[in-house]
Amino acid sequence: MNLETREENGVIIFELDGEVDLETSPLLRQALLDHVNKGTPVVVGMADVAYIDSSGIASLVEAYQTGRRSSTGFILANVSDSALRVLQLARLDKVFTITATIDDAIKDLTT
Amino acid sequence: MEQSKTESMHQGIQEQINLLASMTSEFANTLDVDDTLSKALPQITDYMQAEGAAVFLLDEDTQVITCIACFGATEITGLTLEYGQGIVGKCVADNEGALVRDVQNDPHFYAAVDDQTGFTTRSILCAPLSVKDRCVGAIELVNKKKSDDLFEENDLQILKTLASSAALAVLNARLAKALVEQERVKRELELAAEIQKRFLPDRIEITGPELPIAGVNKAARGVSGDFFDYFKLPDGRIYFGLGDVSGKGINAALLMSKTASLFRCLGKTVRDPGRLLGIINTELCETAAHGMFVTMAAGIYDPRPGCEGLIRLANAGHEPVLLHVDGKFETFGADGPPLGIVPPLPGEDGAYPEVQIFPKGGSLYIYTDGLTEGYTSTGLPLESEGVRKILNACADEDLQGRLDQLVGAVFQVGNTLRDDVTVLALTDSLRPQDETNTKLMQRGDESNEEMDGEWLIDFRFPARPSWMKMARACVREACIKVGCDDALTNDVVLALDEACQNVIRHAYGGPSDEEIELNVRQRPGRLVFRLRDFAPTVAPDKIKPRDLDDVRPGGLGTHLIQEVMDDVQYLRPSHGEGNLLKLVKNIEINKG
Repeated sequence: MNLETREENGVIIFELDGEVDLETSPLLRQALLDHVNKGTPVVVGMADVAYIDSSGIASLVEAYQTGRRSSTGFILANVSDSALRVLQLARLDKVFTITATIDDAIKDLTT
Repeated sequence: MEQSKTESMHQGIQEQINLLASMTSEFANTLDVDDTLSKALPQITDYMQAEGAAVFLLDEDTQVITCIACFGATEITGLTLEYGQGIVGKCVADNEGALVRDVQNDPHFYAAVDDQTGFTTRSILCAPLSVKDRCVGAIELVNKKKSDDLFEENDLQILKTLASSAALAVLNARLAKALVEQERVKRELELAAEIQKRFLPDRIEITGPELPIAGVNKAARGVSGDFFDYFKLPDGRIYFGLGDVSGKGINAALLMSKTASLFRCLGKTVRDPGRLLGIINTELCETAAHGMFVTMAAGIYDPRPGCEGLIRLANAGHEPVLLHVDGKFETFGADGPPLGIVPPLPGEDGAYPEVQIFPKGGSLYIYTDGLTEGYTSTGLPLESEGVRKILNACADEDLQGRLDQLVGAVFQVGNTLRDDVTVLALTDSLRPQDETNTKLMQRGDESNEEMDGEWLIDFRFPARPSWMKMARACVREACIKVGCDDALTNDVVLALDEACQNVIRHAYGGPSDEEIELNVRQRPGRLVFRLRDFAPTVAPDKIKPRDLDDVRPGGLGTHLIQEVMDDVQYLRPSHGEGNLLKLVKNIEINKG
């Protein structure tokens, strides 16, 4: 799982890949919270997420809620089919803001 | 008159030579000395004009001197004397002949025989049966026939000469007997070695291009104190082990046989190498004798798709295990003492620690110190540097070729090995590059074990997050095997992952070395999963799904399981403590 980030127009961009599971999700959770707690808007690109479980989803939910409370934005972009399936099963696909591309997400967060 | 005296002397010498010649020839040609001596005694007695004669042999182990044949006079066959006892005993002890012309006044005379038999011994002639310094008995003559006659120095010389050739015959016969015995032991050793060889495993039947695992065992003597073994588990994983019993020879071979049997028998049910070594250790501590011990490395290689060729390895006091990947070496040394030395603490299972190795297409080598300490053609030990050099030089050869190179370095035909040499090598080639290619994973027909439909998976693993990847790979494998499509497979994998996570969180209260047992069975139209833990019973309401309208992190897992599965039941295991979760997924497909 890749946790490197880049910044574009004040937006922190994650591009996750590989498997987000019980072993790796604590790292993701901490990385996401570090940014949203500072009030930075975050885009999580999920095109290359091969697998995500409930613990990974929970990390996203927690970051999303924290971001919402502090009025910063939190968007999932380009979500892979397998990750989208889990969001659907969890009935969270309508809760998150999801965009087709990372650029769309940045646009949403900066306008 | 003068002439007739000379003639009679000539005649005497001639008779003497004839007797010596016939005796010597008979002694030289016999292996049944007792019989030959018995037959020779009358001739000797007659020639020497004695009343009686007896042959005594010394048992070199017990130092007891026994009469094995006698003639004339009194019957004393079976009479035993102590070393140095009586005139005969002294003759044997001193390895010197004796001429006693006044027996009754000789301090060494053993009068008990005369007392018992009523025979009166007047004079004795005794010559040792000896070759150089080694005396094996004595010939004794008693009383000249003419009552007023006594033995003379000349008689002793003749008897000594006869005794020498008899002694040679006795030694020859003993040597022959020892040779026969040696031959018998050798034949038995050859049989034992033959049986031992059958302990070594047959080739594993695989459909891949190359043998994934192979071993070599060269015994320094007929039988070996080393062994290696490997066998395939029904789920496709390969169990392997190599051991080296301290010492050499029969006692080491017997302990080797025991250890090898324990490994193969227990390995079929104890699918954790560390725990297996722990159990063997306990067993050997209870029963092994004389401070003997076994160094052993054991592991499980997982060639199944998605499992990345994981090797779980445990090392009980054995030489470091060598991993060779792309010209680089990594070693995995002993994490515990050899087997049979330290019994586990009361109440503990004494499991050895395991390391996880991802071989990345490389090869793993386990060998005994007979290889590293074996002499090469330069006269110096091979050492572990030598092993690495050879492996680098022959990296392109197949597994068997590499093994041959290694053993060939210390084993030259005609030379004696310094110690048993055993090498086991495993190459991570069975795993298909394309992880969706499942053809290699088709199991044989032998694994049709009934529990609840066709056996797909039996897998036990520690309740730790790091094992989830493996658990998912196994479930994925089962789904693909029965023909589930990608979407269905992904859902089922997710549900099982979530169920395992629940066990870690709720049953074990967090990551634990305790285990989760996963069984997957195929029944007509459905897949049945059983997930068992060994924790205290958990009330199912503790893991009920949360209300989905309440958007918050956590609590999702149970909902996902129920969303995916067609039937979810929380059960009690039929035996032992723990919780059992039964999940059923209906499947329409099962394409032939």
